[in-house]
Amino acid sequence: MNMGGGQLLGGAGTVEEKSAAFPSVEWFEKLAEVMQENEAFYRQLGPIDCTMVVIVDDRIFELVFLGYGVESVHDLFALSDAAASHFTLEGSLQAWCAMIDNIRENGSADLEHTLGALTFCDAPLRVGGPDQLEIDVFYRFNATLQRFFNDSAEIQTTY
Amino acid sequence: MGRRTPTIDAGLDRLREMARGNYSLAWMESNPEGWGQMAVAGPAGIGLVDIEVDRYAEIPEHASPRGGVALRGSHVPGKLPAPGYDLNERSRLWSNCAAKLYDEAVARQWNSVTDVPWDQLQELPEDLEKALCQMCTGIAEFELAAADATARWISRINGNFHEIKLFLATQLADQARHMDVFRKRALANGGGLLETSPCQHDLLLAGMRASSYTTATALMQILCEGFSLSLFHAGEFLAPGEVEKTIFRLCMQDQARHVAHAVSHLQCFLEDHPEGIEEIHRALDAGEQAMFRLTLEPQTIEPRAILAGAGLAGIDLGLSRVALLYARQVREYLGRLGTAGLDRAGRITIPVELPVQPCGGHAR
Repeated sequence: MNMGGGQLLGGAGTVEEKSAAFPSVEWFEKLAEVMQENEAFYRQLGPIDCTMVVIVDDRIFELVFLGYGVESVHDLFALSDAAASHFTLEGSLQAWCAMIDNIRENGSADLEHTLGALTFCDAPLRVGGPDQLEIDVFYRFNATLQRFFNDSAEIQTTY
Repeated sequence: MGRRTPTIDAGLDRLREMARGNYSLAWMESNPEGWGQMAVAGPAGIGLVDIEVDRYAEIPEHASPRGGVALRGSHVPGKLPAPGYDLNERSRLWSNCAAKLYDEAVARQWNSVTDVPWDQLQELPEDLEKALCQMCTGIAEFELAAADATARWISRINGNFHEIKLFLATQLADQARHMDVFRKRALANGGGLLETSPCQHDLLLAGMRASSYTTATALMQILCEGFSLSLFHAGEFLAPGEVEKTIFRLCMQDQARHVAHAVSHLQCFLEDHPEGIEEIHRALDAGEQAMFRLTLEPQTIEPRAILAGAGLAGIDLGLSRVALLYARQVREYLGRLGTAGLDRAGRITIPVELPVQPCGGHAR
């Protein structure tokens, strides 16, 4: 993936909105671009070093976070292809769409649509991993991960 | 000028020699093996993990208690006065991820003054404000005691294991900040502190009086902080506003580091001391009983149920949601112990679920 794009500027100097279909590698790459553009904010939260596997029905995406950005995004065939150290965030397309739409509508997740709220009952989203220590990584970087998904407000998402 | 003493005479003699051009400079050649180090910065900067290389990465199995406060890897000219460290065995205190977690901790610090959106505090109905203030009272009390428990061990750990001391210092700072932020929330919105928890005292005293660092860590971090980590996750679910949600989210990050460090330590300890497993089990037997008493104490469970039910009128519904929290606390607790190599599923002394009909959905 190419993380060096930065914001796209239109002819009049206005910011051209990013758009991508969810779920796709492209959608996560756009999100990574937004993260890069907002690096100053992420620096306030501190660096992140983890691998997050996002499962949307039968689609699996692996995102490797390092420092203040996303190092790589991959579409996986199977969960067994993921890095040994990872946690998963799993839900139906419907559940993910509800979160993304809520973020788009409000500019960030409202109180009912934060990662913490959505995962607490293991539904509509569920946090998993090879063991509890890996799952706990989701807790360790939660503020950054929430901000990462909140940045999807800047992406015009289609399904 | 003050009274002349042998120390002052010796110092002045040295100064006279220096005035004649007689410098020692022996220190410049004192540590050739430790000279020439270069650090390669990682993506976030230079961390502790980046400088712990070569001889500086050599962790002694047994650190001399007579090494004074000398830094590991420095030259020690003879014996130094003993500073009183009594934790000198690597296997009784080590955690493989301490340096990494220390870097994470110092780079992800926050403060209760400017990082919480206090301007978004909203007036709450009295039942919700009281429930929140009671929960904050309990959490702040726990964090204060947890900080004392952490402080108790830092000065006893040999300086050769600075990774552990440094990480514990961040843990202590986190615990102090948590005490501060929950107390601040209780006092910031028209409410105040409510009732202290006798059951929490029982639990915390067990942790503070633990006979070894490992049992203290198992009790205070894996059991107590592990349960509160799950509570902070629930706090995000229960929080009535952005202020509380932010507090829980930030505290959750800190708590997860403490728990990870403790799990890693227990794993190291059990690999080297499988004979110590029974001592850990016995401490957890008692700790779980105290935790269960605390969980069902009115000043603990009722405010949680009111928050989970979005008000006193919804306390019954809230209770079923608190049961979900409890089941998650136990599941994650057993999972962490299992990761550390302690299979406690067959020995746990408390129910894995509360006999309350669970129901999902959101609190509000």
